[in-house]
Amino acid sequence: MRHSTFRGGVHPGDRKELSRNKPIQYHVPKGDLVYPLSQHIGKPARPVVKKNDPVLAGQIIAEADGFVSANIISSCSGKVKSIEPRMTSAGVMAQCIVIENDGKFTLKEGIGEKCDYTKLSRSEIVKKVQAAGIVGLGGAGFPTHVKLSPKNPDEIDYIIANGAECEPYITCDDQLMRNRADWVVGGIKVLLHMFPTAKGVVAIEDNKPEALAAMEKAVSGDERISVLPLVTKFPQGGERNLVHAVTGRKMASTDLPANLGCIVDNVTTLTAIYRAVCLNEPLMEKGFTVTGEAVNEPGNFLVKIGTNVQELLEACGGFKQEPKKVLLGGPMMGMAITDLNIPIAKSYNALTCLVEDPVEIAQKQMTPCIRCGRCARVCPIGLVPQQMQVAAERKDYKRYERIHGVDCIACGSCTFACPAKRPLTQLFKVTKSAILAARRREAAK
Amino acid sequence: MEKLLNVSSGPHIRSKLTTGFVMYDVILALMPATFFGVYHFGFHAFLILATSIVSACLTEYLFDVLTERPNTLRDGSAVLTGLLLGLCLSPTVPLFVPYLGSLFAILVVKCFFGGLGQNFMNPALAGRCFLLISFGTLMTDFGVDGVSGATPLAVLSKGGTVNAAEMFLGFTSGTIGVSCAAMLLGAAYLLIVGDITWHIPVSYIGTTLVLMAIGTGQGFRPLFLLAEMCGGGLLLGALFMATDPVTSPITAPGQIVYGVSLGILTALFRIYGNSTESVSYAIILGNLFTPLIDKVAIPKPFGLGDNAKTPKPRIPKAAVVLTVVTLVSGVALGGVNFMTRDTIEAQKLAANAASYQAVLADAESFALNESAVDFVKEYGSEVYGNGKYGKVYINEAVNGLDASGSVVGYAISVTTADGFDGNVTLTVGVSGDGTVNGISFTELNETAGMGMRVDEDEWKAQFAGKAVDSFTLNKAGGSTADNEIDSVSGASTTSGAVVNAVNAAIDFANNHVK
Repeated sequence: MRHSTFRGGVHPGDRKELSRNKPIQYHVPKGDLVYPLSQHIGKPARPVVKKNDPVLAGQIIAEADGFVSANIISSCSGKVKSIEPRMTSAGVMAQCIVIENDGKFTLKEGIGEKCDYTKLSRSEIVKKVQAAGIVGLGGAGFPTHVKLSPKNPDEIDYIIANGAECEPYITCDDQLMRNRADWVVGGIKVLLHMFPTAKGVVAIEDNKPEALAAMEKAVSGDERISVLPLVTKFPQGGERNLVHAVTGRKMASTDLPANLGCIVDNVTTLTAIYRAVCLNEPLMEKGFTVTGEAVNEPGNFLVKIGTNVQELLEACGGFKQEPKKVLLGGPMMGMAITDLNIPIAKSYNALTCLVEDPVEIAQKQMTPCIRCGRCARVCPIGLVPQQMQVAAERKDYKRYERIHGVDCIACGSCTFACPAKRPLTQLFKVTKSAILAARRREAAK
Repeated sequence: MEKLLNVSSGPHIRSKLTTGFVMYDVILALMPATFFGVYHFGFHAFLILATSIVSACLTEYLFDVLTERPNTLRDGSAVLTGLLLGLCLSPTVPLFVPYLGSLFAILVVKCFFGGLGQNFMNPALAGRCFLLISFGTLMTDFGVDGVSGATPLAVLSKGGTVNAAEMFLGFTSGTIGVSCAAMLLGAAYLLIVGDITWHIPVSYIGTTLVLMAIGTGQGFRPLFLLAEMCGGGLLLGALFMATDPVTSPITAPGQIVYGVSLGILTALFRIYGNSTESVSYAIILGNLFTPLIDKVAIPKPFGLGDNAKTPKPRIPKAAVVLTVVTLVSGVALGGVNFMTRDTIEAQKLAANAASYQAVLADAESFALNESAVDFVKEYGSEVYGNGKYGKVYINEAVNGLDASGSVVGYAISVTTADGFDGNVTLTVGVSGDGTVNGISFTELNETAGMGMRVDEDEWKAQFAGKAVDSFTLNKAGGSTADNEIDSVSGASTTSGAVVNAVNAAIDFANNHVK
C-alpha cells in the first residue's frame, strides 16, 4: 500500500544519518540555567521568585499570565541569580530568570509519585498539564492545555501523535520513539481517556523503520491506537498536511485541528503529558539533537530546559571544523543564530551546525524569476508563490491578501525548489508581518 | 568564536537546480530533433541553426556590454532561443534570415523588455513571426533539393494522402525540427525531470485535434489526426514553445485554460487560414493573455472553503470589458463581412467579366470551359507546370462566344505567387489559333511606380497579337523578336512573374482547353 501523504512538498536530502543511530543520552548541565519568560505562544509568564530565592527542581518560577500562556519550571536546584535581559535567539534580548545551579538537582516534594490517570477527570488532567508548563514541543510552543480544552470535546475522533520529523538532520523524535515508546503511548492513552470517542494514530515518516517498528510493538494490544507510515516528504509534519494525510480532512488556515475533530501533538509533547499526568513530573527536560557536519560527535540528548547551547555543544566534542552557519532547529525552518551563549527553550529541538552555507552559494546563482511554476507545485497549501512574490515586491498588499498570501506557513519549500534562487520565504515572512501589523493598526483605530 | 557566523532567513538549504540547469535541460531535450534535422536536411540546416544561436548570443552579449549589465549568457536562455528559432525555420532559407530573426527575438522581444523572465511573448516565436511578415515566401518555401515540397498538412488540406510513418519520423519536407518522434522523445525527458507538466501540451493538442476533426468534417480518422498533430509545427509549438515558462501561466488550471485557448486559435487558423502559421500566431496571441490568466487563475488554497466560507474569485473588471469589446467588434466585423459577401462576390464576377471582355474584344458572351473546370477542380490548388513557370496557379478558363454561339477564343485566369508583394492575378486572352489577344490584371498590389507599371497599356500591348509558344523576359529592353518582352525598368521580378503567368496560360490553352 502507498503510504499516506499530501499534495506538493519537497525532498531535501535528510542528512539524518549523522545522528539517527545515536541513542538518547542524559545531559547534566554544570553551569547556570537560563529561563526566558516567553518560551511559548501567548503572553510571557510572570516571575514568582526574587533574586537570591532558593529554588528546587520542579518548582514553578514563573506563572502563566492568563489562559494562553504557560508556567515555567526550574529544571535544577540552586538559587535565583538574577532576572535580567539575556540573548535568547538570533539578536533577541528578552527577560530571563537566571538560576545558579548547585549541581544537586534536588527535586521538589511529590515529584515522581505515580498517579493513575484513569481516576482523573478531563478537567483535572488539563489542570495538571497546565501546571506542568507544557507547550507544543515540536517547535510551535502553543500551550498544550489550551489545545486539550476544545469547545467540542465530544466530537474529537482522532488523537494524532506527530512523529513525522520531516525536518532534515533532526533525529531526537526518532530516538525518543525508539527508546521511550512507552512514554509516547502513555501520553496517547491519557488523551484517549480524556476523549473516549477518539482513536489514536501515530504518524511517522517511512524513513524511520526502527521507530515505526518500536511504536508498532508498543501499541500492540491496544485496539484504539494504530501506527501509520507516511511518505518521507517535507513538510509532512506540518499540522495541516499531517491531518490531511491521516484523516483525509483539509484544514483551512483559519481552522484549528479540533474543528475537524483532531488533537495533534508532537511525540515529545506526548511524553511530557505522560510524565506530567502519570509521574507528576513537570516539564523540565526535552529531546534535543546536536548535529551538522561541523560537530565532532553529533548526538541526541535529553536536556534540561535552560541549558546553555555552548555547554551542550562542548559535550559533543565541540566543532571539528569551523561552522559557516549555526541553526536552532533544522535547515528548512530553523533560525540562524549569531551567538552560542543562549539557553535551550522549550520549543527548540536541535542545533544544526553547517560547514557550508547553501544560501551564500544560492545568492551568487540568483537570476530573475523564470516563472517555471515549481514553487506553486511544491507549496503544501496550494498557494502560488510566484504571484505572491510579484505582489509583495510591489507592496500590493491588497492583491497579496486576495491571493491568500497570508496563509503562507513559511515552510520554505518554494525557496528550496526555486531554480532562480529567489529568497521567497524571507519576502513572505516580511510581507505577512507588515500586513498583520497594518491589520492591528486598523483594529486599534 | 573569532569568525562571524552567517545569518539569514530560512530555509538554509537549496535544491541543486538552477536557471541554467533548466535551460540546458530544454536544450538537451531538443537535441534529438536537432540531430535529426541536420541529418535529414544536410549541412545547410546546421549552418542555419549555428547562425541562429550565434546571432542570439552575440545580440545578448552586446546588449549587456552596451547597457553595462552583468553578462547573462551563462543562463543558457539565449542559446535556447536561437536553437528554437532555428528549428522552426525552413531548411532552405538564406543565412541572413536566422541572423535577423534571432536579432529581433533577443533585442526587441527580450532585452528591450527587461531580459530574462520579462519578455511578454516567446522570443523565438516572435522572431519567427517577424520573419514570416518580412520574408513571407522564403519562410513558407519548404523545397528540398529543388523538389517542390508541399508539407504534409498542405497536401492533406488538398485532399491528398500522406505516409504516416514517414511523417511521424520526420522524413518529409518541413522545418528543420520536422521529426515528431524526436520531439516526443525530448518532451518525455522534460516531463520526467519535471521541467514541463502535461497540462499545456495535452490540453493544447487535444483541443486542436478535436476541433479539427469536427470543424473540417474529417471525423476522428487516425491518419488525419496524426497528420494534424505532426504537421504545421504543432508538436514543436505545443511541447517546447507553449510550455515556455516565462510566457505561459503558472498554475495548473491557468495552464489548461491557456492550452485550450491555443487549441481553439490554432484550429480556427487552420480551418480558415494558412496552416503554416497557425501555431506560431496562436501561441503569440496566447502569450498576450498569460498575465490575465495568471491574475485570475489562482487556485483555492489548501482547505479553504472545505470548512469555511470561500471568497469568490474576482475577475478583473478590465478583463470583462476587454472581452466584451473584442466580442462586439468581432461580431460586428463578421456581420459586415457576411452582409457584404454577396456584393463582393458579384463585384468579383463583374470584374472578371470585364477582364474577359478586355482580352477577348470579339466575344459577345462567355461560358465556362468544361474541360478547364475539371482540371481546376483536380489540380487548381497545385503549382501549374511542375514549377516551370514558378508558383503559378490556374484559376479558371472560359470560352468566348460570338453572337452565333461559336468559340472565338479563350480567357484564362492565372495567379502567380511570385510577385514582388504577393499574388498577381491576370486574365490572358488566347484566340482559337493560339495568338495571344491581350492581358488584363484583376489582382495587382505591386510597388507603385515600379511593379505597378506592368498595368500600363503600352507594356501589356507587348503580348497582343503574337503567336508564340512562350515569351522570354528581356531585362535590357529594346526587344525586337516576337517572343521577347521588355521588362519594366526596375521591376524585373513583377515583369518576370507576369511573363511566366502568361506562358502558363498559353501552355494551358494549348494543352487543356478544347
